[in-house]
Amino acid sequence: MTQAAGTGGELRRIVRINEEIKSVVATAFKINLMAMNAIFLAKRAGQAALGFSVLSNELRRFATDLQQQMEVLRQMTHGSVASVTALVKTERLNRVVDRMRSELSGQARAMIERYLRNRQTTSFVLHQEAIATQNRRLSQTIADTAQLVELGSVLARSAKIEAAYGGSFSAALMQVSSDFEHTIAEIHRSLEQLSRHHD
Amino acid sequence: MKTAQVIYENGDHRWLAIVRDPDRPGYLIDTNEYLVSVGEDAILLDPGGSEIFPSVFSALCAEYDPRRISKIFASHQDPDIISSLSMWMEFNPDIKCHISWLWAGFVPHFGGTGDTFIPIPDPGTDIPVGRERLRAIPAHYLHSSGNFNLYDPKAKILFSGDIGAALLPPGDNGLFVENFDRHIVHAEAFHRRWMGSERAKRDWCARVADLDIDMLCPQHGAIYRGAEVRRFIDWFAQLDVGAVKS
Repeated sequence: MTQAAGTGGELRRIVRINEEIKSVVATAFKINLMAMNAIFLAKRAGQAALGFSVLSNELRRFATDLQQQMEVLRQMTHGSVASVTALVKTERLNRVVDRMRSELSGQARAMIERYLRNRQTTSFVLHQEAIATQNRRLSQTIADTAQLVELGSVLARSAKIEAAYGGSFSAALMQVSSDFEHTIAEIHRSLEQLSRHHD
Repeated sequence: MKTAQVIYENGDHRWLAIVRDPDRPGYLIDTNEYLVSVGEDAILLDPGGSEIFPSVFSALCAEYDPRRISKIFASHQDPDIISSLSMWMEFNPDIKCHISWLWAGFVPHFGGTGDTFIPIPDPGTDIPVGRERLRAIPAHYLHSSGNFNLYDPKAKILFSGDIGAALLPPGDNGLFVENFDRHIVHAEAFHRRWMGSERAKRDWCARVADLDIDMLCPQHGAIYRGAEVRRFIDWFAQLDVGAVKS
């Protein structure tokens, strides 16, 4: 967390990340339904669409994995909110103690200064470190998700190639695989946004 | 973490109940928070204590964009109602807090500035949310001396704060009251002790009996709906309140 962004900025950033997570979850749900329809279509196409059927199954698994990955991200943002809350409380307490220090003198002031030094090197720094660690984990998970989505793109492209061998169903299968490609491109865009909000 | 559940939806007019936190430490009382959204505007009702802010905020984020929340309604001044105010102010310094005039000078100890608070006069007032107008209904001395419920005439929902609250045993996690007789056992001691005035109770019962209510949503425990709403009002009307159980 940068000093300029502040804790309010950190919360707003978490909200923006959550909005993208919701968007990806909705798209993953759409892919799951599309994949189910694609499996039925491939069944109707029979032998000519065996490869397409395998890929549709894989795309369905991809959608489920993506939804799970989004849940992991959501849980991580929950952890971040908890750390930001703890940091705000510490900041408030520090401000109050700081005011006390400015109004005191002598031994009482020295006592407050010792207390402040101790707090600043313990809880405040610990909360900041916790937020930094959570942010690193979030970055790693977003990167892992990007790889997963790349796999989805490869599957969609392969489905397009398989569609060409779909005989009389070729045009319908081609349409479905193009829809997959476009929908996965939407996820790519959401992930890019997610990375931008996170940085 | 808590979960946010839709309890009313009509177009872009929604009520969300933010309930049940399995991770809540046992020493904190369980609370319900509610969000009323109309179009691009929203009001958060009794946002809860600062200890549960992360849970409320995260649950809300899963269902709604909290950047659209322009107002907070605090039924009264207790810490489990409004001590998270400083966190909400941190998130959005422009947020406004509607609360009884009686507490407008007390609650800033939790957070906010002179511009944050919109005092509600004793007889109540209308609070606009998007194109709708919600009504702050007086419920003074039930239990707080400056206390309001919030009524949504379109959704026919009354947010009743501590009135109707039940301290449910662990595992009793239903969102709605399913068995009134079994449920009300967990509400009785609370109402006898916390509701301090027989006269205030009678006034409230008469006032809300005139309202068209499909759901009565308390700040603790399950929601009353349908016939259970009337049943609760009748039960409360005959309850001997302001008593310490000896």
